[in-house]
Amino acid sequence: MAVVRHRSLQFVLWVIVASIAALTSSVSAQDQCRACHEALGDAPSTLFKNDIHAGMGLSCADCHGGNPKTEDMEAAMNKAAGYIGVPKGDGIVKACARCHSSAPIMVKKFNSLLPLNQAELLSTSVHGTLSTTGKEAIAACTNCHGAHGILKKVDPASSVNALNLPKTCAKCHSDARYMRTYSPALPIDQYDKYRMSVHGKRNISGDSKAAECANCHGSHGILSAKDVRSSVYPTNIPATCGVCHSDAQYMRGYGIPSDQLEKFTRSVHGVALLQKKDLGAPACNKCHGNHGATPPGVESISKVCGTCHALNADLFSKSPHKKAFDQKNLPECETCHGNHDIIVATNKLLGVTQDAVCSRCHGESQNPKGYAAAKGMRALIDTLESQEQAAIALVAEAEQKGMEISEAKFKLRDAHQARLESRTMVHSFNEERFKEVVDKGLGVTAVVREEATAALDEYIYRRLGLGLATLAITILVVSLYLYIRKIERRQATGAK
Amino acid sequence: MVNEAGPAGQKENRRDFLKYFLGGGLVAWLGAVLYPIVAFLIPPKEGEVEVTSVKVGKVGEVEKDSGTIVRFGNKPVILIRNPSGEFVAFSATCTHLDCTVQYRKDLGVIWCACHNGQYDLMGQNIAGPPPRPLDEYRVIIQGEDVLISKKV
Amino acid sequence: MTPLWKRLYDWVDERVELGGLVEYMGKKYVPVHSHSVWYYFGGVSLFLFIIQVTTGILLLLYYKSGEELAFESVQFITSKVRFGWLIRSVHSWAANLFILAAFIHMFSVYFTRAYRKPREITWITGMLMFFLALFFGFSGYLLPWNELAFFATKVGTDIAGVIPVVGKSVMIFLRGGEDVTGATLSRMFGFHIAILPGLFTVCLGIHLLLVQRQGMSEPEESGHDVKTMPFFPNFLLRDLLLWLIVLNVVAILAVLFPWELGQKADAFAPAPAGIKPEWYFLFMFQTLKYIPAKILFIDGEVLGILVFSAAGLLWTLVPFWDRETKRGRRARFLTYVGIVAVVFIISLTIVGWLS
Repeated sequence: MAVVRHRSLQFVLWVIVASIAALTSSVSAQDQCRACHEALGDAPSTLFKNDIHAGMGLSCADCHGGNPKTEDMEAAMNKAAGYIGVPKGDGIVKACARCHSSAPIMVKKFNSLLPLNQAELLSTSVHGTLSTTGKEAIAACTNCHGAHGILKKVDPASSVNALNLPKTCAKCHSDARYMRTYSPALPIDQYDKYRMSVHGKRNISGDSKAAECANCHGSHGILSAKDVRSSVYPTNIPATCGVCHSDAQYMRGYGIPSDQLEKFTRSVHGVALLQKKDLGAPACNKCHGNHGATPPGVESISKVCGTCHALNADLFSKSPHKKAFDQKNLPECETCHGNHDIIVATNKLLGVTQDAVCSRCHGESQNPKGYAAAKGMRALIDTLESQEQAAIALVAEAEQKGMEISEAKFKLRDAHQARLESRTMVHSFNEERFKEVVDKGLGVTAVVREEATAALDEYIYRRLGLGLATLAITILVVSLYLYIRKIERRQATGAK
Repeated sequence: MVNEAGPAGQKENRRDFLKYFLGGGLVAWLGAVLYPIVAFLIPPKEGEVEVTSVKVGKVGEVEKDSGTIVRFGNKPVILIRNPSGEFVAFSATCTHLDCTVQYRKDLGVIWCACHNGQYDLMGQNIAGPPPRPLDEYRVIIQGEDVLISKKV
Repeated sequence: MTPLWKRLYDWVDERVELGGLVEYMGKKYVPVHSHSVWYYFGGVSLFLFIIQVTTGILLLLYYKSGEELAFESVQFITSKVRFGWLIRSVHSWAANLFILAAFIHMFSVYFTRAYRKPREITWITGMLMFFLALFFGFSGYLLPWNELAFFATKVGTDIAGVIPVVGKSVMIFLRGGEDVTGATLSRMFGFHIAILPGLFTVCLGIHLLLVQRQGMSEPEESGHDVKTMPFFPNFLLRDLLLWLIVLNVVAILAVLFPWELGQKADAFAPAPAGIKPEWYFLFMFQTLKYIPAKILFIDGEVLGILVFSAAGLLWTLVPFWDRETKRGRRARFLTYVGIVAVVFIISLTIVGWLS
């Protein structure tokens, strides 16, 4: 029956359409806010379409409050129903944290692996301090993540994706006028420098493994570099850089070693910075730069080291080694001292023995002048050191014997100074100038040894004197005793 | 007096011997006691080491824009006369690794030869490794004499 | 040809009439018995005092008082002045030996009851000299103004301050102020070279005069037919013999064990660990450490000081309350007290030294 089939088909169709309509209207019935605002075509609702929260089934009311089920605007955007309007300032963090800091919601309800402490970290971070308005913190969640078009970090369109993050941070940190309101002295060139750096260049070319702002500074709990707890405080920087750079697996394919942190920790700079907490010692950023991180070029090394070791660098630049090294493309200070694993320079470094570095180039037959100079200088400084030790030993002996020797001790300062100065003068690689400094020291040690020896002689002289005086007294005592005996004997016989 | 020989005479000799022994012993003893005392009484050549203040010399002897190292007790002190003629004095022990600093006319600073530490003419550490400023000493002009006295 | 000394004697005799004095001295006798060896210790004390005065005057030629210069001047003496090290070490060693000899002299007089009538005044002046000697030691110790001395003086005057009622005033008097400062140094210097020597000389004069007038005391048991020896020349020469040996001992100690100078005193530095007074105060210091902080309602320290003061006073007044001896009987009780005192002092000094 055609009419019956038609009518059943119609009915079925009607049911289908009705249910679809019901379903769609039930969807929009669940989020009337969106339905209305989408109809208005405003930006938030447009953006919200792609938002991850929308994908999770959240409505406008989940952040803004209010009743999403009713079409009536007054009823929906009603304070009584919990509507908070557009959250401003600290209200934003509160709104986000309502879910994002709640374990029942994040873990139980949504099975999320995201951390729950972002709001807490932010509140104690430098971004959580009071802004210049005095009304709210400097940054809220939306400043970096956006408000309505929030995407997952791994999404290439996300504002906090590794490849986009530098630009996001630069929105404020490269804005001179904005940063000026906090302090005109704050730098605003970090982004520019970053783009010139190895990390920046790789980041621009799409390598998400390369370091960007959050890798070093953290994301939510960013602290000022002057804060001891900060990941970019000098004593923490080696570890921060080491997160990537000492992970051999991670660094595979980049063609650079991954043992720098280990070498640095052993080195004299590492010990000074990490064990002795001497902030004068360099962390990675002092030599490599921080935002503009680049390994120094071969010719630049002495300038980098020379920032602190100015005298040595100066002497080196004027010495014949500078031209020779540059010609041979040898990195200046690094060739003899190493770069990351710099050990304390002792006398052993100089000379022509096994441990010495000079004989690496200056062979006895190929390069006799250099060989002789190295050998000569080593002999001189060894002499100075042994003479100084001998002088110190003599002074200590005299002191221990109770002789007054403070003046000679005072002179020893000059010997110590000569030794330190000679170790700097090595870098001139000029045996004559070196000898001048060493001779100064040798003169002092000779005088000190003389004075200490004189003190020791005096010590013996005193004991000799005592011996003689005792002899004199003993003679007198014995003779007196005999005299007494004589008198008493005479008296005894006289009395009889 | 009859010179008695025999055992009585021997006794005489022994008596004399004893007397000489006694007399000699007495003299030796007196020498051993008086020699140190007399030597003590003669003042030593090196004068008293004054530690409250040290006389450096005459005002005219110290050139403008120059520095000298002076011994103050057990410590070195650097006396500087700056270009305008005023005197300042500081401890000459570098606060980095105890080398002795010097005045660099060409740089206008107090300089440490060991590691290039620099201090300005107020004693403040301005460059290089020194972690602390130099302690200041007082300079007193008494007539024509320049004296350095204990720290301010 | 009259010898020189006879001519000198005659010259003086014509003007001063020494005849009577010489005769009197010629008649002096010293008893000889089992305890007569103790007679020497008075002379030894005297000799050591003479050494102190001599070396003290020599040191005075170079010592500079005042906290700026005291330490440095002693350093100067020990390093730059010829034999300065010797004079200084002799002065320090002889000071200690002087006090030791005084202890022995005092105890030997006590045990032999030599303080009994007619020698009460001799005993009193002797005890006064003993206390003055201790004060000599205390004041002299501070003069080099070194670390050890500074803190020892601080502790010592702190203890004086504990005396009830007068303690604070005594402490301020000793210190020349509330704290140990340069003022304390000046004051101790004044005590050491002027006030104490003056007082001591007066007591010594009386003491020696009395000894000359009264002669040596004999122990009670010795009876009346005791052997004697003339003072001139026998006892005197023996005395001189002993004095020479003592001088040699002092010289040996001074050369082989020179007295340390240490570090200059710094009022702001913390006290070094284990500050101890000199050995002659050690037994009192150690005892005070052992007394519990509070006994009934009295402070332990106060009680300790009061007990020591009372003991000292009783000891000084022993000639007046020793009734047994006055009655001519052997005062066994006093001997026991004396032995206990000696053992107490020696053992606590050792304990104090070792801790």
